[in-house]
Amino acid sequence: MADTEPKPVEATEESHDPQFEPVIRLTETVAASTHEENEDVLFKMRAKLFRFHKEDTEWKERGTGDVRLLAAKDTGKVRLVMRRDKTLKVCANHIVSKDMTLSPNVGSDRSWVWNVTADFAEGTASAETLAIRFANSENAGLFKKAFEDAQEANEKLKGDKPAEDVTSTDVDEEEAKEEAKEEAKEEAKPAEEEAKPEAEEKKAE
Amino acid sequence: MSDPVAAFKLVLCGDGGTTTFVKRHLTGEFEKKYIATLGVEVHPLVFHTSHGTLCFNVWDTAGQEKFGGLRDGYYIQGQCGIIMFDVTSRITYKNVPNWHRDLERVCENIPIVLCGNKVDVKERKVKTANVTFHRKKNLQYFEISAKSNYNFEKPFLWLARKLVGNQGLEFVAAPALAPPEVQVDDETKAKIEADLELAANAPLPDEDDADL
Repeated sequence: MADTEPKPVEATEESHDPQFEPVIRLTETVAASTHEENEDVLFKMRAKLFRFHKEDTEWKERGTGDVRLLAAKDTGKVRLVMRRDKTLKVCANHIVSKDMTLSPNVGSDRSWVWNVTADFAEGTASAETLAIRFANSENAGLFKKAFEDAQEANEKLKGDKPAEDVTSTDVDEEEAKEEAKEEAKEEAKPAEEEAKPEAEEKKAE
Repeated sequence: MSDPVAAFKLVLCGDGGTTTFVKRHLTGEFEKKYIATLGVEVHPLVFHTSHGTLCFNVWDTAGQEKFGGLRDGYYIQGQCGIIMFDVTSRITYKNVPNWHRDLERVCENIPIVLCGNKVDVKERKVKTANVTFHRKKNLQYFEISAKSNYNFEKPFLWLARKLVGNQGLEFVAAPALAPPEVQVDDETKAKIEADLELAANAPLPDEDDADL
């Protein structure tokens, strides 16, 4: 008798799932742009971000997640973007410019402090003093190196004006020579011809 | 930024660090000091999801009961709720039925999440096994820590799924629009540099970083 009786199912955390009438029914997924689609990730590392609150003269946490340096595929311009874990909200978003200096924070060998004149994390430009802390000083060092490389890369982009930059002309000539060689190779190999129109289409876009 | 496809009034109540929890979501900061909220504060919290942008208008009513109790106006047209208690304080859990009674009286049958906050603290007074109120009253229960961010997104994710009737909803990356480039004059630059020195000499909080 006891064997045939259904045993009561114990309400566990997983099985307890109350149901409600939805306020609005959303059935379709929406394709959302991250605005990072046309960028390459140059650097990525887990960190904790803070911003300085002047009135209270103290640091306030801003988010924990991956800090990344992203380079635009077309222009090469590098920006710093950081999102919070789980909610994926943006907590830092600014161009890495030459006027920024990573300074150590008092008594810490794994943190950097720097100024941003136009951080775009909230969708409007805002001046911020930021600090970032890594798990150890090695990671902090790797970030500093990548950050400074990005500063230099962005500064070079600014200098790429044909009239004043002689070195870049040299590079262009070198590149032109390289391209000529490549073309010569391709002519020799007709099998690769098919790939060419596609590449040109991409350039035209 | 994309306009929300829907906005919901969320009534946040209880005595377990509601304001700290909202701040964590708004600016990322963790406020250690206890400041009883006076009156009501409404914070729009936007989430980018696989099914569109959603906005929770979070009504933070914490502390009100100390100044004569909450009025019905705080609850009216509430579409979802979060009741918070502090697992290091038994009295805050004992108050949960009162908060729930007041909320249910005005808002019938809305999705409500019960949150046990401060689970990062070792000396817990309210153990997980002793939290049973949610089963009787059809609430969802999450253990969270506003300090360590443990489960801190779960209450909103669960409510969002219920409110739009889709269990497959997930949070997605918010758009990171191209930041502007700004030229700074020397005067501004000097002022900023002075601020930087002040900041560099102020120590960063909480060195433990278990999550890094």
